[in-house]
Amino acid sequence: MKEVFNNRPFIEVNNVTFAYKKSDIILKDISTSFKKGEFTAIIGPNGSGKTTFGKLITGILTSNKGNIFVEGQNIEEISLGTIGKKIGYLFQQPSRQLFNPTVREEIGFAHSFMGEDEKVVEEKVDKIIKEFSLDGLEDSSPYKISRGERQRVALASIFINEPSFLILDEPTTGLDMVRKEKLSHLLQDLKDKGMGIIVISHDDKFINKNAERVIEICGGGLCEN
Amino acid sequence: MKYVGVGFVKIDPRTKLIMVFSLSTLAVFVVDAPLLTVVLLVSIIVANFFNEDWGFLQRARKFIFLLVGIVFLQSIFSPSGQIVLSLGNFSVLTTGGLLKGIRVILRMLIIIISATIMAGSSPREIIQGLIQWKIPYEIAFMVSLSIRFIPILGEEAKDAFTAIQLRGIEIDKLSMSKRFKVYSYMFMPVLSGVIHRARELSTSLEARAFRAFPDRTSYIKLKLENTDYVIMTISIFFAISILSIYLLMG
Repeated sequence: MKEVFNNRPFIEVNNVTFAYKKSDIILKDISTSFKKGEFTAIIGPNGSGKTTFGKLITGILTSNKGNIFVEGQNIEEISLGTIGKKIGYLFQQPSRQLFNPTVREEIGFAHSFMGEDEKVVEEKVDKIIKEFSLDGLEDSSPYKISRGERQRVALASIFINEPSFLILDEPTTGLDMVRKEKLSHLLQDLKDKGMGIIVISHDDKFINKNAERVIEICGGGLCEN
Repeated sequence: MKYVGVGFVKIDPRTKLIMVFSLSTLAVFVVDAPLLTVVLLVSIIVANFFNEDWGFLQRARKFIFLLVGIVFLQSIFSPSGQIVLSLGNFSVLTTGGLLKGIRVILRMLIIIISATIMAGSSPREIIQGLIQWKIPYEIAFMVSLSIRFIPILGEEAKDAFTAIQLRGIEIDKLSMSKRFKVYSYMFMPVLSGVIHRARELSTSLEARAFRAFPDRTSYIKLKLENTDYVIMTISIFFAISILSIYLLMG
């Protein structure tokens, strides 16, 4: 029984339909699954429902029909806080997920509410700061650093929870070639360590270079390439 | 250009403003609970003509505890009349406090429900109404902007709350004091978004030569019809009548 569970994909989407209030159906009868250690890109024209799909699989939005399972658990039965420990979500605008006056406080923010020992949290924060090359920015305000740095701070803040899966919404917007390259290396490293990654993007070059699976949202459904 | 309204009744936004003003003035000046109930009923009937969607009331259900809390607060801090509920020597609920609480709730409901009369008018139409009332364009524009930004701020606050939870914080499991601490963190991204948006807006206004010329032309011109005059007269007459009854009652 345990073996069967382990072979199960990390995220399962079964016949999901979604429409915003008073609008047409955006996603219709969608079924797919995502495994750990897999780099998937979700593409599609503007307004096709890419971000909506990302928000559905993180439980931010609730589907009208169908089910989504995360590690075998129905997403509707788990709190956002529990999902956040399993799946990290990087918003299109990282400033929306930054809440603290300094980078250091930002990274340790969630753990300060989890009743963990202060010293342990500090050690974790130091480790993450090094991993994400944020040395020297510890005491800076997350709102006064560059967009690329802000994105790294948002990612580092997610990583302190050690999630198994990562969803990034348009992560290359506003990044120059060097920053894109750095992001690419970081994501490949994480993938190699067994993390599942979903990137929602328009950036063909970035997708072609990194993604091993591409899903296109077309006409409310999925067309897998 | 003839103004075309939205909802069941099509009238000028200025007429709607007069209605809202009349009803909310009554909510502020009248203290008598039965009269406030009459004003509330009239507000509901009038607002029903302009609103097809009352879904917001269903969403507001979660604030019911706030209304109940107001009744208790009134009773605790300004007790009068007979004691209805007490804890030892401490009176928690009194008849006077209960009445005061009910009055506050009635006033809040009148103001909220009467404000929904404006729901069918676009900010652009409201601004034009204010300009035609000789209110300076800059002030009318600021009013319209603030109306437009309220739902955006709500969305941003909602996003911030979601983002906090997705950081792995299980809010339901936190103590009340920690919960309030978490809520306080939401202000940072919302405030930053407001400042950022205000900066962008001021730059784009400058780029489009806002206030470069004293006179402005407008594509939309509002014209008051006979129906508007009748509704305005009825609204003002209703407000004066209720106020007179209230004053005569002493």
